[in-house]
Amino acid sequence: MTSSSTPPSLTPSTPPERTPSTPYRSQLHPGRDGFVRLLRAEWSKFWTVRSWLLVLVLAAAATVVISQLGASGSVNDSNGRVRIVSAPDGTRVDDTFRFVHRPLTGNGSVTVQVSGIEGREGRSPEPWAKAGVMVKSSTKPGSSYVALMVTPDHGVRMQWDFTHDEQGSSSGARWLRLTRSGQELTGYESPDGREWTKIATVRPADLPKAARAGLFVATPPHTTLRRSFGGTSATAGIATATADFDHVELRGSAADPSWTSTDVGAPDPDDPDLPASGPARPIPGSTKVTGAGAFTVTGQGDIAPDQTAGDTVQMSFQGVWVGVLFMVALGALFITAEYKRGMIRTTFTASPRREQVLAAKVLVIGGVTFAAGLVAAAVAFPLAQDTLRSNGFKPPAFPDLSLLEGAAPRAVVGSALLLSLVAVLALAVGALLRSSAGAITAVVVLVILPQILAFALPLPAAEWLLRLTPAAAFAIQQGVTHYPQVDHNCLPESGCYPMTPWNGLAVLGAYVAVALALAVWRLRRRDA
Amino acid sequence: MDATIEVRDLRKRFGQTVAVDGLSFTVEPGQVTGFVGPNGAGKSTTMRTVLGLDAPDAGHAHIGGRPYHALRTPLLEVGALLDAAALHPARRGRDHLRWLAHSHGLPMRRVDEVLEQVGMEQPARRRAGGYSLGMRQRLGIAAALLGDPPVLLLDEPVNGLDPEGIQWIRGLLRRLAAEGRAILVSSHLMSELEDTADHLVVIGRGRLIADTAVADLLAAATGDRVALRTSARTEAMELLAHKGGTVAVTGRDTLTVTGLPPERIVALLTEAGIAFAEVGSHRATLEEAYMELTRDSTEFVSAVDGEVTR
Repeated sequence: MTSSSTPPSLTPSTPPERTPSTPYRSQLHPGRDGFVRLLRAEWSKFWTVRSWLLVLVLAAAATVVISQLGASGSVNDSNGRVRIVSAPDGTRVDDTFRFVHRPLTGNGSVTVQVSGIEGREGRSPEPWAKAGVMVKSSTKPGSSYVALMVTPDHGVRMQWDFTHDEQGSSSGARWLRLTRSGQELTGYESPDGREWTKIATVRPADLPKAARAGLFVATPPHTTLRRSFGGTSATAGIATATADFDHVELRGSAADPSWTSTDVGAPDPDDPDLPASGPARPIPGSTKVTGAGAFTVTGQGDIAPDQTAGDTVQMSFQGVWVGVLFMVALGALFITAEYKRGMIRTTFTASPRREQVLAAKVLVIGGVTFAAGLVAAAVAFPLAQDTLRSNGFKPPAFPDLSLLEGAAPRAVVGSALLLSLVAVLALAVGALLRSSAGAITAVVVLVILPQILAFALPLPAAEWLLRLTPAAAFAIQQGVTHYPQVDHNCLPESGCYPMTPWNGLAVLGAYVAVALALAVWRLRRRDA
Repeated sequence: MDATIEVRDLRKRFGQTVAVDGLSFTVEPGQVTGFVGPNGAGKSTTMRTVLGLDAPDAGHAHIGGRPYHALRTPLLEVGALLDAAALHPARRGRDHLRWLAHSHGLPMRRVDEVLEQVGMEQPARRRAGGYSLGMRQRLGIAAALLGDPPVLLLDEPVNGLDPEGIQWIRGLLRRLAAEGRAILVSSHLMSELEDTADHLVVIGRGRLIADTAVADLLAAATGDRVALRTSARTEAMELLAHKGGTVAVTGRDTLTVTGLPPERIVALLTEAGIAFAEVGSHRATLEEAYMELTRDSTEFVSAVDGEVTR
């Protein structure tokens, strides 16, 4: 094939009748390492659109401001009115129960057969009513202890120092034995008093040589919950538990052979703040000796971490969901803006390996949103804490929280991760749907709508919603640990999420992973 | 690697619509190849397939013997302008080239070079949202030239350019081809390629109609026709037909004669005393040659209604 018109300007080195098969070669040399180049390209794309930088700054600012507003709207006036009981490790706890005890100095053991637990006036007992044996450092509320108990619905349990719980057999065993050897206590259970099975050996935090040992009965109050859109009413009705004990045997050196009964943690009956009657006034416990080594004990109260106090960590991040809205928009636009104008073709022409382009976009948008989210959360938290403190959320009822201790660092970093993961989710959904409006709507519906619905739906449905949708990730902001051995109404409106912090965030992570996998599959398969 | 574009038995359909139907052609280095066909003929689809953006249903499109996705540094091997409007309006022109340069580790110096080459140094400092179509085309051409590639694919680059811009791009394409690059320029108007293209690939309804050098095409269309202007049209027709010419009326006082050389016509007319104003050899325009070519192609005529839109 010959060219009809000879090119007008030729370089001197080229002969005039040069054939067209002398190809041109690019005079340029590319830099090295493909993926780093892609990252740089995507980073340039991001910062050269000023409005995106602005959205990033706005996201951080809105998170801080709304968190601050949320904190100033929360007021606590319970300080001074509520008695605060703290466990040896500082956890706020309930420590109220009927204790029938004798001194136990040094090594020894206490054995008992629990023959039954009943509720108040013949009603069925609360699921977490407790009857069993205990070794406790003193009758002072909050002091260290180890207890072995039978429960109506949760089988035999060994619990110590309020937050620890070990499960024994689920049924059958009615004989309990707690043995002290030095600083170690071992729990055993038996169906018949002859064959004993060990449950666990534990070391409580602070047990003096001279401790108290004996029987105890406790039951949490009976609560009923009514929820409707916009309001929740929780009613705590009074409950007592009565248990029959047989074959009570205390071995070891006891200074005093007679049993003492104490309502541990009961309020002073002369307390002027205490109502004269009614459900709020505690019913005193009772102890009846029904034979040799046989007792019937009635008690109320609970020995457990207090799960009713507000979560001041979670309360410091009430603006994060607003930040989420901005991040979703940013993540989606980072790819849908290219689809809208056909620029994605320029992108894929420059880098035909599409999944690498997506990976570079994920790293860039994930990185910038994480950085902005981290700054926002790290600024919002101390500011909100200051406001909460001046609104009454302060010691002793609420701990003083600093940015770098306890649950705070996890909640701050977790909030930043949450913000960056929703941006990446929006990016992946944007790559799938190729439409800004579609992607933003889909992700907002996935992340924010469940939170709103959780306020309206019945509690079990709300809890499932907050387990199965990306909204589960907001659990990362919780500062209060929820213990399975405490019946607790986990109310979304009180900032409680049904999953543990990291598991909740992992749910969002799973959504991101699935969306990215689908996006890669779609990018490879479909024409650009 | 040879700087060529090679399309072989390419087929691509979108749903029920066949966009490209067994197309084969080669774009050789050192010349400008015009890629012509009406809107919807399959030009853009073919170009997208060459660039690895659309996957062909059958056949292949290779650059220097390799599929596009096998190119390690594609911008240094192929420069493309598909859609000049594919810009983020909030991004400055220079920043648009910045990310492209970064994607291949090219320095900003190179960005400024191509901006100068297309005359966009000043507008490139402003946001692309305010650009005229001509500015977008120039920026798109700058992007295609960024990697100094031996192969260029330009989809309708003349669109929206003013006459001065059209002159400029013709010169630019000639110059780039002279350097030994393979250049494929699509257009739906043959006249745009006049004086630019050396070779033509004409398609209609996704099929090849012609793959020919422009010179050959013009020669075929021109033939040995002679144009004649005379006020005595009837007499001239009678005389020349009688002497062995084939005469066609092309206007009120113009005729086209085939089969007789111009000198003979002049002699005959003078001898017969028929007054005439002008005798000249008729040179076909590219547009005429194109019409001639496509007149035979029924497929091509119907391709206009079977427009493929994406």
